[in-house]
Amino acid sequence: MLTDTVQHEKPCYSCGFEPSTANKTGDWRFLTPEKRSRLSPCRQDCLLDGEIPQWMEAVKQEKWEEAWDIVSRYNPFPAITGYVCYHPCSDNCNRGELDQGIAIEEVEKAIGEWRLNNIKPQQKLVKLKGRVGVVGSGPAGLSCAYYLNKAGYEVTIYERTALIGGMLALGIPEYRLPRNILSRELNFLEEEGVRFIESCSIGNDYDLCQLYEEFDSVFLATGAWKPRRAFIPGEEDRKVYNALDFLSAINSGEKIEISDPVIVIGGGNAAIDSARSALRLKGINHVSLVYRRSRAEMPANQEEVEAAEREGVEMVFNALPREIEKEEQTIKGLLFDYCKTDLNGLSIDRSRSFSKGCGTVIMALGQQADLSLFCNVESNVSLFAGGDLVTGPSTVPEAIRAGRVAAYSIISELEGSPAPKLMLPEQPVVTFEELNLATKLNVKMQHREETPALEASRCLGCGTCNSCGTCFVFCPDMAVDIINGRYELNLDYCKGCGICVKECPAQALVMEGGR
Amino acid sequence: MKTGELNKDSEMLYSGHNACPGCGAALAVRYLTRALGPNLAIVLTASCWSIISGMPPLTALKCPILHCPFPSAGSVGSGVKRGLKATGQSDTTVVVLAGDGGTFDIGLQAMSGAAQRNEDYIFVCYDNEAYMNTGMQTSSATPFGARTATAPYPLFKAGQKKDIMQIMAAHGIPYAATATVAFPDDMENKLKKAQKISGFRFIHILSPCPPGWGTESSDTIHLSRLAVSSGFFPLYEIENGVTWRMTNLQEEKRTPLKEYLSAQRRFKQMDEARMAQLQQEVDHDWDCLMEKVVTCPSE
Repeated sequence: MLTDTVQHEKPCYSCGFEPSTANKTGDWRFLTPEKRSRLSPCRQDCLLDGEIPQWMEAVKQEKWEEAWDIVSRYNPFPAITGYVCYHPCSDNCNRGELDQGIAIEEVEKAIGEWRLNNIKPQQKLVKLKGRVGVVGSGPAGLSCAYYLNKAGYEVTIYERTALIGGMLALGIPEYRLPRNILSRELNFLEEEGVRFIESCSIGNDYDLCQLYEEFDSVFLATGAWKPRRAFIPGEEDRKVYNALDFLSAINSGEKIEISDPVIVIGGGNAAIDSARSALRLKGINHVSLVYRRSRAEMPANQEEVEAAEREGVEMVFNALPREIEKEEQTIKGLLFDYCKTDLNGLSIDRSRSFSKGCGTVIMALGQQADLSLFCNVESNVSLFAGGDLVTGPSTVPEAIRAGRVAAYSIISELEGSPAPKLMLPEQPVVTFEELNLATKLNVKMQHREETPALEASRCLGCGTCNSCGTCFVFCPDMAVDIINGRYELNLDYCKGCGICVKECPAQALVMEGGR
Repeated sequence: MKTGELNKDSEMLYSGHNACPGCGAALAVRYLTRALGPNLAIVLTASCWSIISGMPPLTALKCPILHCPFPSAGSVGSGVKRGLKATGQSDTTVVVLAGDGGTFDIGLQAMSGAAQRNEDYIFVCYDNEAYMNTGMQTSSATPFGARTATAPYPLFKAGQKKDIMQIMAAHGIPYAATATVAFPDDMENKLKKAQKISGFRFIHILSPCPPGWGTESSDTIHLSRLAVSSGFFPLYEIENGVTWRMTNLQEEKRTPLKEYLSAQRRFKQMDEARMAQLQQEVDHDWDCLMEKVVTCPSE
């Protein structure tokens, strides 16, 4: 018997024995493991609801096309968001508890750039489903156009200014978003069949009602461009800019009259962008940012504030501008009152006022949406609007999300299909304590890696199967199959011991009652 | 096992074997055959694995198995290896697979004889700490304080677990090592190292037994890991009976034994005093081991 069966390439069974695989032990089972994704902290915090662990897994295996397919379900412009998004996703990364959180934005950027370099635009030859007009070419309008175009609609985007991109082109400084990334994304969209009409202001050059007649549906994403005013004496001077005018003048290459030193008033992201942009201008040596509340109350992104400070922007807190001081029609300085927040709101102490010399003032007091557009819209049309126009000034990813939501809502209305699910289902987030890192076979302490694939390989894949193979290694019944590099449970032989569920480092398996 | 190297072709164990859900012994043999295969012959004494390997015409392993009487594993292994050598098949690895009963109690004399003769095969003991196959009767591998079928409540196993590694070290065999299922890489390294050495080699594998220990079937790996981290079952290897070496860099601060014991129903009625006694024993064994090990860890 021994000599007969001693190794052939395949066992020959001439001894009369057969593999025990004929014995389907799966029917012993009374509990069944099941693969089920759970919510990761990054996805919970992602402004776009992106499936981050899933595309991390694809990048880890260098399956870039798959990664792009997954990313683009929720975010059609990963290259842009990789640069401009404040990546709240990485704030609560579970890996941070171990060594250092994943640089999610860098991997996202890499996917976006891979797509721009490697995927050719595909124009659909026939577009029969319908025509949709989009007002505003900002991130919301662009993302809506992307999803509608992909679904087979003909999309025309109307832009008020001569530059396509809205806030991406005019509001965001070049140091935060390289212009060639934006222009390549725009070219891509155009080559895929989206039409752009520049310098056409709906309401002035073209009537909104006419748009409704021309198109099957219209999406309004005009953004929030109307600046808030400070209502202080001297505000009308030509060297008092509002932040968006100032930023768009720089971004569109206009000449700006500006003299040193510069004071920026406000504590939001537009204020930081203005201050950092001003510091980059020729002849400007000193920029100070004055905010009426304390540093902790600043709405601006913390990383940006730190970057501004590193670059040399002076920060002044608890100061409210009272008056712009002038001498012979030129600005000499700004008079501030001390103020602070207490239980009654903002309390001003006029006895502690001070003056600060300056040549230029930039007001970044926030923006509002201009709603005059809606004045003569008839009440019987379905109004789709999104982005800053609806939410007030927010961020690029939130606008992209609004565009996606609008696109799917428009599709569901035009096609009469059920409304899409727009919110992630409420479920508990996978915590660091839940992750079974003792079994993670290849977790090593390591810090941020240089290539995207290596960085992605640090992802613990919270709540998502990331093909680590732990279930395969620890299954006493060999009831885990490897199919195309992915691990699948083979319930024919699973006895339901639950080792895989208990040991899964990513919490991607659950035990269910019954077979 | 590195993720990239995982594949089903190198596995020697078939699905559909007769082990209980969550069986540590099935996992142990899976890692063992995978590390030593495919040119492998297994001599199997009476133990759980006599059942797990399947009833003819089914077999759970891709290699030949020779079943033998309970006390004779050591001598049958010697005979098989010599027979293979005589027929020119000396490259076949012979593994004698025995449970703790077939090693610590009933098989001890044959194994001792084979070790003394330095027979050229690997003796693997998968230790589930009692005669689990016949109904959880006490063996000399059962740890102090455990309840078994022959020591039911309010009785408990009174003596200490036999220190089989010291016995084997005293035989001066070329290689002896401990391993457990929670550390498959470590087990594989030791088995591969053992395969390269000729002479009598002994591997002691702790394999948790869910029905016998009274644990959840999903806790197998967890318990195996706790056994190591509490110092109850340290992982080490012994070369030529003299060079003792730890194989995982264990932290000085070990987890309390209580954590390991309280997860098992066989220790349920164990009171604090007895737990403290067992902890003391484990601490003592640990200190003795630390005196023996060489300071520099393996490779």
